[in-house]
Amino acid sequence: MGWLNRTTPRIRDIARTLILFEGQRGQGGASEFPATDRMRPQLMRLMGNGGVHALLSRALVLATLEAPWLSNAAVNSDGDLGGLHDIGAEIDPEVFLEGRVILLAQLLGLLVTFIGPTLTWGLVHEIWPHIAPEDRDFGREQ
Amino acid sequence: MKKPRKTAGSAPAETSHGKPAKVTIRKLSTGVRGLDEILGGGLPEFSLNLVGGAPGSGKTTLVHQFAFANATPERPAIYFTILGESVIKMLRYQQQFSFFDEAKVGKSLRFINLSDLVLEKDLDAVLEEIIAQVTAANAGVVVMDSFRTLVRKAAGVVGELEVQSFIHRLSQFLTASEVTAILVGEYVQEEMPDNPLFTMVDGVFWLTQVTERNSIVRKLQVLKLRGQASVPGLHTISITADGLQAFSRTLGLDTVPARPSRRKRLSIGVPDLDAMLGGGILEGDSVLVAGPSGTGKSALATQFIAEGLCQGEAGIMAIFEERPPSYTQRADGFGLKLGEAEKKGTLELLYLRPLDLSVDETMQAILDAIKRVGAKRLVIDSLVGFEMALAPGFRADFRESLYRMIGALTGAGITILSTVEVEDNFTSLQFSHYAISFLTDDIVRLRYVEIDGQLRKTMVVIKMRGGNHSKDIREYVITKKGVVVIHPRRTDYARLSTGIPKRTGPRKEQADEKPPESKAEA
Repeated sequence: MGWLNRTTPRIRDIARTLILFEGQRGQGGASEFPATDRMRPQLMRLMGNGGVHALLSRALVLATLEAPWLSNAAVNSDGDLGGLHDIGAEIDPEVFLEGRVILLAQLLGLLVTFIGPTLTWGLVHEIWPHIAPEDRDFGREQ
Repeated sequence: MKKPRKTAGSAPAETSHGKPAKVTIRKLSTGVRGLDEILGGGLPEFSLNLVGGAPGSGKTTLVHQFAFANATPERPAIYFTILGESVIKMLRYQQQFSFFDEAKVGKSLRFINLSDLVLEKDLDAVLEEIIAQVTAANAGVVVMDSFRTLVRKAAGVVGELEVQSFIHRLSQFLTASEVTAILVGEYVQEEMPDNPLFTMVDGVFWLTQVTERNSIVRKLQVLKLRGQASVPGLHTISITADGLQAFSRTLGLDTVPARPSRRKRLSIGVPDLDAMLGGGILEGDSVLVAGPSGTGKSALATQFIAEGLCQGEAGIMAIFEERPPSYTQRADGFGLKLGEAEKKGTLELLYLRPLDLSVDETMQAILDAIKRVGAKRLVIDSLVGFEMALAPGFRADFRESLYRMIGALTGAGITILSTVEVEDNFTSLQFSHYAISFLTDDIVRLRYVEIDGQLRKTMVVIKMRGGNHSKDIREYVITKKGVVVIHPRRTDYARLSTGIPKRTGPRKEQADEKPPESKAEA
């Protein structure tokens, strides 16, 4: 199953940082996945609705292997992640946070796999210019 | 890859002679090596262009190179993708090319997907979005890939006039916004007469790829380019790790400086042959050395280069049959230290034998080497090997391209010695199986002759365009010093040129050579 897990500890650190940052911005209440939501317009502009839907769906499939409760989430036709609003309230906050980290890490991992760490970093940096990960290669060797 | 330099804009028009000043059209570098020269300096600024061709012909790579070459933070390039290749894959593949500058992506070069809009909305909405994005970014370059898909989708919904109106409004907006744009599409040439798009755009560039036997031949043609003179015809293109590269039919040689009117004589490295040539080869001549296998063509070519090196003239040996170590070993055997010259950078041995080369690629490799070392002498050993190294589809162009290259290089004062293998048939004296005498100023023919129970070697100068030459048929041997001419011309034989001469003088007793037969001593 190693090939399914493209995330590195560094990618997970970045994902966690981004999610916590979004939480601090006070956006967490509106969505279960605020960091993913913030990335979506950028991704939509780049690859269109269909492309975002396909990529998020794949990330969700991969993340579900590690956090089976994520199977309750779904990618809507507009590329929106939903289905966890009720479960989010019932699940342990730490576990819920970890699930979101895994999902975002899988999304970033897929991007790194497809377009490389530099372009992925470019996307992340465009959205979160103040967040400066120490390692721009996402912990991967080219 | 060398960074393509920005082509200087046209010089401002003079206002002397009372004529009004002409507008200056700046030319943008395409970022494709060789293409600017084909286009007459680059792509005209603010022009609307179309790149057409079948899938896989290199359209997307070409426009990426253009976008990267011209994208700046102040005037970014916007690459609109429309229902074509998935952007994620496009970025994945394009970044394998050396021109792909990741640092530019996002700020200087922006990718915007219009697929959803095209699918869901009408042309007005698409145009509105393009206007909004281009205006917001202050874009200087716009690429729309694939424009054909956009038009095709729209044509299924609205009439032809609406599509034409959309193109017209798009063109007006882009020009007014000082944008240089390229539309990309899988068009076929047959569409040109009936498709108004081809009338509306300023430039049309066509890419083709044809499979011939086992190889692929890629070509580029400038079908239309307003405002400047481009090089007509089909130009070879290749796609390498550096992206697309174009090879102008002129090989960029139309601008090389002309050779001096007074030309000196150059030694070929064989004193007696120099004498036969009337004192040596005229600088800037093209010399053909023709002869069957084993007659010493490569040895003579090596001596020609080595002599040049002794005279301080750098050289290039483009070799297609032997490998460089064989060449240097033979030269060492003759006491000619080619290896030292290679180390000093005054000599390059180009081993050009990969299959499927185009004639233009090969010639470009030779021209690059000539520039690198500042060569004054060039050896092509041999023309037969050169032709065999080419993809079958390019062999038809061989003579034409060779003619262009030799003509331009000799015109610039570079002296070329080419070898060609010919078979002796013992009935006549052939110079080559090519009709290539038009390529050469001078021809030296080597051949085997049966004399006194031995197969000996003779040489004769057949032609020398620049002056008189010896008519003598001279015997020569290959010794430790290389090719050495021996004996004055033989007057005791007739019909030497047939290879089977007839004795006309008295026979002299000669001792047999002791086995193993050595190469004859001078």
